[in-house]
Amino acid sequence: MTGDTHYDLEVLAELAEGLLDAATALQVREHLAICDPCGESLADLAAVREVLSATPTPAMPMGVALRIDRALAAEAENFRGGGVGLVEAPAWDDIMRDAPWEKAEPAALPEPEPVTRLGVVGDDGTVVPVTPARRRRAAARRRWALPAAAAGVAAAVIGATVTMTGMLSASGPSKNPVIALPSQAKSPKYQLTTSNWNYTDQELRGSMLDYIGPMAATGTTETSKIEQCVRRLTAQVGRAPFAVDQGFYNGQEANVMLFWHNQPKNQVLVHVVGPECDEVRRPAFARWK
Amino acid sequence: MNSPPETPPAADQQAARAVVSDADLLTRHIAGDPHAFSEIVKRHRDRMWAVALRTLGDPDEAADAVQDAFVSAYRKAESFRGEAAVTTWLHRIVVNACLDRMRRKSARPVADDELIEAAERDTPVPDQTSEREVSMEVSSALKLLPADQRAALVLVDMMGYSVEDAAHVLQVPSGTVKSRCARGRAKLVPILSHLRNRSDLSRVSSAKGAELRDG
Repeated sequence: MTGDTHYDLEVLAELAEGLLDAATALQVREHLAICDPCGESLADLAAVREVLSATPTPAMPMGVALRIDRALAAEAENFRGGGVGLVEAPAWDDIMRDAPWEKAEPAALPEPEPVTRLGVVGDDGTVVPVTPARRRRAAARRRWALPAAAAGVAAAVIGATVTMTGMLSASGPSKNPVIALPSQAKSPKYQLTTSNWNYTDQELRGSMLDYIGPMAATGTTETSKIEQCVRRLTAQVGRAPFAVDQGFYNGQEANVMLFWHNQPKNQVLVHVVGPECDEVRRPAFARWK
Repeated sequence: MNSPPETPPAADQQAARAVVSDADLLTRHIAGDPHAFSEIVKRHRDRMWAVALRTLGDPDEAADAVQDAFVSAYRKAESFRGEAAVTTWLHRIVVNACLDRMRRKSARPVADDELIEAAERDTPVPDQTSEREVSMEVSSALKLLPADQRAALVLVDMMGYSVEDAAHVLQVPSGTVKSRCARGRAKLVPILSHLRNRSDLSRVSSAKGAELRDG
């Protein structure tokens, strides 16, 4: 009671939750029957519940979802890699962000053997044919083979990465999230196709190669709008798409952009954007093959 | 391959995956299925995000908490014994991650700048009050509550879970959840009462609340 006339909000809230003992509850109810201000307070309490339940719960922002996917991928990598003996999974994707082999441009990769680049358009406009996926396992290993060999212990990997990045990439070891593109090419390299296929949500979760498979790429003229959009998504995703298909999504004009999420594991991130570069579908993962 | 096939082989597989229960997915994850856990994440990340965002009131903190929680769940999947629903288990991990963060930051006094600002600002025409503004005011108000009351209110009043479900998540008796909710609501009345007077709010919002609960 405040003074002798009214009950505290807390008592009223407890009444509403049935937390008061029978005698007290009866007392409060009798008071409520004759006291308008206390009745108001009870209504206010109900209104608070109403306001709380009415507050919209936003969906997880894409950036956060991607971050979590990356963290889990790193966790899986660490888990399966075995032998490294790290208790805490290092944030590989953050550490390696500037590493040359993490970039969209594969040319600078000091790979011991040709990399599998599925249906990517080469410098001269030819399409590199699809290579069978039998070496996936080895590819997964290869991802970390270089720094591991160079540094020996995981703790030294960071240092080694910075050194190598400095040597091999124009961007240097800066933490700047700007995507380092090869200096000779102004725009990110990706396969641009026009299938005019009307994608459904389900299709976009399956194998994308069936739809966007290697085919003659559309010219890059009159596509500056797409290019701008590609740049925007490149900045957002942190890497350039490797394939862009102009088609439809649920009947609406849309561009389907594919980003490698984990190439050795055949995972691609699919962004679907409208003509104005607006995301028309929550980015989701699919398989390439 | 210029004409895409009618049904990509993956479609069936995806459809099959959609009906797999959370518990089965977790079992598959433990058995080494590399895709099982991401399916769990996909199914529940929006809810987990909502819980963390409302509990912590800060998107950056919420992102860290949810990430920690999912990574932690990934690692300790084997500790899940099936005594509760996978969702309850996940919620528990997320809520605990949030509470840990709040405890670590507990020295920080309530950041009520936003609240003061909101209170001093001219009350906008009700119709023009955006959901976003309401949402921000609610967030600011929740920050004034003790962590345990906040967590209870987020689960019960905002997410629409039953007191029993919330009790399982928070690992306290139902009565404790009720009492935390009651005390929390009492504290929010003076802060949020002005929202009540905005026309249409409760009507429009109830429907939305129900929708969320059903989802």
